[in-house]
Amino acid sequence: MATNMVSRRRMLAGLAASSLLPSASWASVGTPAFLSAARAPDGRFLLAGLTDAGEISFTIPLPARGHAAAAHPARAEAVAFARRPGTFALALDCRDGTVLARLEAPEGRHFYGHGAFSPDGARLFTTENDYEAGLGVIGIWDVAAGYQRLGEVSSGGVGPHEMRLMPDGQSLVVANGGIETHPDMGRAKLNLPTMAPNLSYLDLSGTILETVSLPPALHKNSIRHLAHHADGTVALAMQWQGAEEAAPPLLGLHRRGGDITLLQAPERLHRALDGYAGSVAISGDGRAVAITSPRGGVVHVFDLASGQFLQAQPEDDVCGIGASAKGFFFATGTGAVGTLGEAARQHHLQFDNHLVPIGT
Amino acid sequence: MMKPALIACALSLAAPAFAQEEIHVDQGALVDAAVAQHILPRFDHLAATTATLSEAADANCSPTSETLRAAYHAAFDAWMGVSHLRFGPTETNDRAFALAFWPDTKGFTPKALSALIADEDPVIESEAEFQTVSVAGRGFFGLEFLLYDTQLSTLGDVSYHCALVRRVASDIALQSEMILTDWSEGYAARLTDPSEAGPYTTDAEALQVIYKALGAGLQFDSEVRLGRPLGSFDKPRPTRAEARRSGRSLRNVATSTAALGELAALLSTQSPLIAEEYAQAFALIATQAEELQDDPVFVGVAEVQGRFRVEILQQYIDRAREITTLELGPALGVSAGFNALDGD
Repeated sequence: MATNMVSRRRMLAGLAASSLLPSASWASVGTPAFLSAARAPDGRFLLAGLTDAGEISFTIPLPARGHAAAAHPARAEAVAFARRPGTFALALDCRDGTVLARLEAPEGRHFYGHGAFSPDGARLFTTENDYEAGLGVIGIWDVAAGYQRLGEVSSGGVGPHEMRLMPDGQSLVVANGGIETHPDMGRAKLNLPTMAPNLSYLDLSGTILETVSLPPALHKNSIRHLAHHADGTVALAMQWQGAEEAAPPLLGLHRRGGDITLLQAPERLHRALDGYAGSVAISGDGRAVAITSPRGGVVHVFDLASGQFLQAQPEDDVCGIGASAKGFFFATGTGAVGTLGEAARQHHLQFDNHLVPIGT
Repeated sequence: MMKPALIACALSLAAPAFAQEEIHVDQGALVDAAVAQHILPRFDHLAATTATLSEAADANCSPTSETLRAAYHAAFDAWMGVSHLRFGPTETNDRAFALAFWPDTKGFTPKALSALIADEDPVIESEAEFQTVSVAGRGFFGLEFLLYDTQLSTLGDVSYHCALVRRVASDIALQSEMILTDWSEGYAARLTDPSEAGPYTTDAEALQVIYKALGAGLQFDSEVRLGRPLGSFDKPRPTRAEARRSGRSLRNVATSTAALGELAALLSTQSPLIAEEYAQAFALIATQAEELQDDPVFVGVAEVQGRFRVEILQQYIDRAREITTLELGPALGVSAGFNALDGD
């Protein structure tokens, strides 16, 4: 009986997504530059659109605390993921919060909280955990059919977290964090001594094109978050799971075919990050790269070409960061939103971990 | 059926004690007490009991030796008393993982040991060389397989098996000794006398790392030591209980939570209301662990009634976690923000 209800709901959702609603562009919701999950002062959870001026262009309700979202390339439509280990995601009409479809992770899988659309918006890709096997998979969903699951492919590693569509529009880059978890055990990390994170590139059919790892001594540096620039440079942010004293770099740069280059601030400043980078972005002009540290309450900015450390910008509980025309756009758990280095706007929302760029 | 009653009970226990107002604690004094009364004596005890274990293996390496098994249990108890103190000396060269590789989701421990035995690998001849062996084949869980597993306890050539038991035991003693040495000859002072040289530059940072160890220890007991065998209602996993071969699954949780209760008491000495809540929470944990004595390896998780008893223990531990996050953290001035706390 439950199955019937699900399939009926799926069918209705499919109809809604394909024909009943006229498709609306992002302009219909105030042309936001980013999406961010947030918590309202009354404790409700939301998905918010943020313009590049730091204004909230829309908010729609979420049933639970969100993590990240995937923004449809053309329509004002987002897929919002719960914090891991969530087993469902919602495709939402950003105009009014209508649930267009509910994506259920198949038996034995849960979402990791990130996803990406194909350039034409026809496919959605989601990072997932095959938790009995302890292996990462990428789920593939047919958007026009109301987010029907088409299948899945290997993510190329364990614990895939953030995934981005590469600027070529034909490949995905996946941060395989390397950490095995199982929903029966909350978020406990089950394989730290043997973890082996990597960065994997897949074509849109799921064939792995390239896998690159950190040196063996850094096998406990979990690659979690990603950003890229139009020229194909990928920036990766890491979370160190080893001894605190080691304090290895938490930011890497990679280009297809090369090795990962590691960047870090001078020792004393670097230690303030507490082994944890929350998000990463490359500036709109491609000159700088930044990581956020919610634990250290600081953003570290580096010159992209030389890798040289440029500045440490204090921002309390900062996590979400993205590219702005001039530099970087950020959002914090205390409600501040703005362009890095300029006066920030203060909202009555606590912004969650990530800023999801729209239209890139 | 019985669940709502339990939840109501847990909720009434969770009634706030109005401990949220600013309490100005002497952070340095709390660090000093935790180091002197909890950390150092417990690592000292680990070094002593593991040395005895190694001597017992040298005296009689037979897996059925009562003296060896008793020494194994005493040393494992000592490890459970420090297994939450995962920072500094335990993390150097993966010492803690070399002492305790669990959970072993991919069965690396029996694989590593079988390979050593099948090859009669001479790597076990030298203490130094043995440190290059995968952490999966070492430590308390490696020794547990060699002493208690129906296959591995009798696998291979008897004299090689004997030498392997002795080497695993001596390596356990060596790792424990190195951890103790690092703690007493430097690391303790780094916590009690923070300086610009780091890794802790303030009393707050030093206190925070100890506070985090308390929370992480409770989390591991609840989510992994109990959560792993509990599995889900539809798929309970009794064979995934920790150290079930040597019958220690419940004993590990009881020993670990007792140590965590000691640390919680030390960290809340300057916050009497929180100390009182902890005392109640850990008393309930101890009583429920006592209650479960007839199910030492959690086979009961596969039936409704037995499962319920383990879930109650888990909920009592979660209550201690709640006190830690919601009350102790703010009282000590070491709480993290919305994103800083989230960790993803």
